[in-house]
Amino acid sequence: MAGSSHIPKRRQGGGIDNYRGRYIWLIAGFAFAFLCIIARLWYLQIIRGDEFYRSSSENIIRDIELRAPRGRILDRNGRVLAENRPSFDIYVLPHIFRKHDTDKTLDLLQRYLHLSEGEVERIAQRAKANASEVLVRRDATRAQVAALETDKMRLPGVEVRANSHRHYPLNHVGAHAIGFLAEAGQSELERLEAYGYSPGDYIGRMGLERAFEEVLRGSPGIDRQVVDAHGIPQGEAQTRFLIGDYKEVKPVPGRDLVTTLDADLMESIDQAMRKYPSGAVVAMDPRDGSVLALYSKPSINPNSWTGRLSSLEKMRTDNDPFKPMLDKTVSAYFPGSIYKTVSSAAALEEGLMSTDSEVTCYGAYKFGGRRFRCWKWGGHGHVDVVEALKGSCDVYYYQVADQLGIDTLAEYGYEFGFGEKTGLPINYESAGRVPTKEWHRKHSPEGFQYGFALNTVIGQGDTLVTPLQAAVSYAAIANGGKLYYPKLVRDIRSAGGDTLFEFASKVRRRLDIEDETLETIKRGLEAVVQEDGGTAYSKRLDNVKVAGKTGTAQVHSIGAVRVANRDKEFQLRDHAWFASYAPSDNPEIVVVVFLEHAGHGGSEAAPVAMKVLEEYFDKDDELSMNTMPNTTNDSIGSEAQ
Amino acid sequence: MQGPSGKLQLLFERIDWPLLLIVGTLGGLGVLNLYSAASATGGFALHTRQAIWFLTGLGLVGLVALVDYRVIARWAYIIFGAVVFLLVAVLLVGTELNGSKRWLNFGFFMMQPSELLKVAVIIVTARFFHDQDRSEPYGLFQLAKPLGIVGFGVFFVLIQPDLGTSLVILAIFGTMALFEGVRWQTILAVVLAGLVSLPFVWSFGLKEYQKDRVISFLNLDDDEYGKSWQVRQSIIAFGSGRMWGKGHVEGTQIQKGFVPEHENDFVAANWAEEHGFAGMLFLLGVYMALLLWSLRISSAARDRFGAHVGVGVAALIFWHVVVNLGMVTGMLPVVGLTLPLLSYGGSSLLTMMLALGLLLNVSMRRKPLMA
Repeated sequence: MAGSSHIPKRRQGGGIDNYRGRYIWLIAGFAFAFLCIIARLWYLQIIRGDEFYRSSSENIIRDIELRAPRGRILDRNGRVLAENRPSFDIYVLPHIFRKHDTDKTLDLLQRYLHLSEGEVERIAQRAKANASEVLVRRDATRAQVAALETDKMRLPGVEVRANSHRHYPLNHVGAHAIGFLAEAGQSELERLEAYGYSPGDYIGRMGLERAFEEVLRGSPGIDRQVVDAHGIPQGEAQTRFLIGDYKEVKPVPGRDLVTTLDADLMESIDQAMRKYPSGAVVAMDPRDGSVLALYSKPSINPNSWTGRLSSLEKMRTDNDPFKPMLDKTVSAYFPGSIYKTVSSAAALEEGLMSTDSEVTCYGAYKFGGRRFRCWKWGGHGHVDVVEALKGSCDVYYYQVADQLGIDTLAEYGYEFGFGEKTGLPINYESAGRVPTKEWHRKHSPEGFQYGFALNTVIGQGDTLVTPLQAAVSYAAIANGGKLYYPKLVRDIRSAGGDTLFEFASKVRRRLDIEDETLETIKRGLEAVVQEDGGTAYSKRLDNVKVAGKTGTAQVHSIGAVRVANRDKEFQLRDHAWFASYAPSDNPEIVVVVFLEHAGHGGSEAAPVAMKVLEEYFDKDDELSMNTMPNTTNDSIGSEAQ
Repeated sequence: MQGPSGKLQLLFERIDWPLLLIVGTLGGLGVLNLYSAASATGGFALHTRQAIWFLTGLGLVGLVALVDYRVIARWAYIIFGAVVFLLVAVLLVGTELNGSKRWLNFGFFMMQPSELLKVAVIIVTARFFHDQDRSEPYGLFQLAKPLGIVGFGVFFVLIQPDLGTSLVILAIFGTMALFEGVRWQTILAVVLAGLVSLPFVWSFGLKEYQKDRVISFLNLDDDEYGKSWQVRQSIIAFGSGRMWGKGHVEGTQIQKGFVPEHENDFVAANWAEEHGFAGMLFLLGVYMALLLWSLRISSAARDRFGAHVGVGVAALIFWHVVVNLGMVTGMLPVVGLTLPLLSYGGSSLLTMMLALGLLLNVSMRRKPLMA
């Protein structure tokens, strides 16, 4: 091949030399473009490098919140009132979910979990709105979980996690005291975010769950995973390598609450209350103010209220005329005759009556041209204070009131703890009401009238007390004058079982009342049950001596309740009360029974209390037999038979 | 005249070692980089295949360098015609992938004739300007003929459709024409015509997906998981490399699969993430060296054809590098252009090697072989 004639020879004209300057332009153009790229790289890698480095770290890191187990709530004997059990919760992780066929995934989810159209809509919405995770179903059944796990490949971005779910073994018994959990609402979350709450977190509602939220709740941990672009975790070794010590923050479990409550006692109360639709029972240890039972009826089942509440259940609760959500142990009602302890103390302390002073009851008391009737038509005849308590003689107290006046009576009401809150740490307790002249001037349409004192003295009129207040005041009588703050929580323990804090019993005050006065009242209360003619004599127990006071509170609801006739009759029925303690000579338990619209205290409330006390002391005997085999209990047992 | 063996010996003595060093460096970087990218894909020895392609490519360089470029120049129009024939064949019997008909299936090898067109256009344009031998700048009228020839080829690429390749071929031609000399009035007219035709091109010329790319380019932060996701993740990969990079095979963006096509068009993201700004400067330095060396070869060429081939090859590399880096760093909309010698893929690599073979050819024949 000739080297010179492959292509036509160039003519003279523009030689290569002409190009010289153009190389400069080319090089300048190349350099300019490269400088632009370098400038861009400088901007991305040097100026914003740290920011993008964080972005790249965030890309591969997925934080999974490790919810801390909530502390348990225990009764005084270690029986569980609230605990955790595992629940399988279904989540959608939008960052994966969105990159696949969302319609198909949702369709499958809907079929497996039987979701409603509304739920599907909500999930789709929240997945679109950049949520980090969307809870689809809490507490899925094992069958549902199995179906999801089997079909995992067709459900990208769907995750099953084992969380814990709250469980309340006593169900509806004591639900007001124990409480339940519900998902924190949007506005709550905004307030609580600083304390580590995140969407989907549960928060205590009602009772101990609410009041001791900070104690029961632990603090959440974090599990950091390194994931790839599809959100698939990259394994332990890689994760340790890339983020090392930052891999996880262990959750701190919540603390256990050991209450003073007695689950067995509350269950026997529930049994005893079976035939009554509405009421409250409070039991207390008069020796230290420990609350043994707080029972309000009707109740709710906290197991069905925790988490997803069915709308049917909610509607049923809302429409129930007996107000299941209301804690009746701390709501105020007319006390009726159980208030006569206060009146007796006032009469004796003010020197108006001595222990032996007698009043003659003819069945009514004349005052200002009006006849105030005793509940007993024929009257009680000659009664002293013990007799007056025993037979619940109204006339005796009318006379007392006539001479003392309403304000002096009120002083003793306050002395016994009425008219102010007892200091129970849970629920919104009512202060009740101890009416005075001043109060009547402000609140009664007709202003204060002297006759009001005669209503007040027998627990009628405008006096309102809560069953808890009654229990605290009767405990004070039983223990010789110590008015306690009710103690509901004994101690707080770590999840490991160490006692972190112990609550001491706290005496609010010593009643400013002579021992002799208290003794007299106690004698009267004992006579109510133990002596023939006492209003609860027929309900007395064999195995234990009980002291107490019946109460039948007329419901003054003239015009206030306009309901259908059939209901009206019931709504206007009297409240039945029985406030008691036992054994009467050495009291270790106070039981106050309040039955809404149930009728007479003696015939209705007293038997409930007696049943509770009977079982309580039976069990006590059993316990002592079990623990002390070498005592003479055997012979006592055979005697009883 | 010496015998063929003596001529070969002379040729060997004139091998352009600096050029081969630069090419070897880029190819080596490419394989190294793909080793890291391949470990992201997992188990698939991309880098091994790339190494094989590269060595094959070096053989091709040698082969091309053997044939005197003036023979190639002589056959310029025939070569161009043959490539256009292949492009027509693509339209008729080509293999379709992702909505574009770009490939001819030879069983063992999927050939992309539009890649060959890049080289063919360099050859045919060099030949054209060589023949004209003008000293005055070209006007629109004088440029009509070569533009018509090139445009004829580009037309078949455009209807495949392959906008990126079409544009880069026009850019190569444009660069060579500017180098040859164009009247400033003509440049102005072309720029104005381009601006005026832009709305029409938008309405009638672009496919929906192409419009989407431009739109997503213009509002990058609009939709994290939408169309700009790829570029966004690529930018994060670049930025997160900071000054010194995260280290070889330690780039989380690539390794965890956040950047799709990280072995192909977005291969620079891997390099930038693992080797940082410093690594990118080094890479750009090597490319600049290649460009400058190409121009040096061009300026030393014995004839205008050789000079134009040098410029054309430089233009080919330049536009690929600039457009590719521009798009992966979010400065330009995404068009499918590879990063020369670093992106994985036979067609792209062999095209570059073909072009570099021409360059070596010109370099070795800057003086008559006979002393």
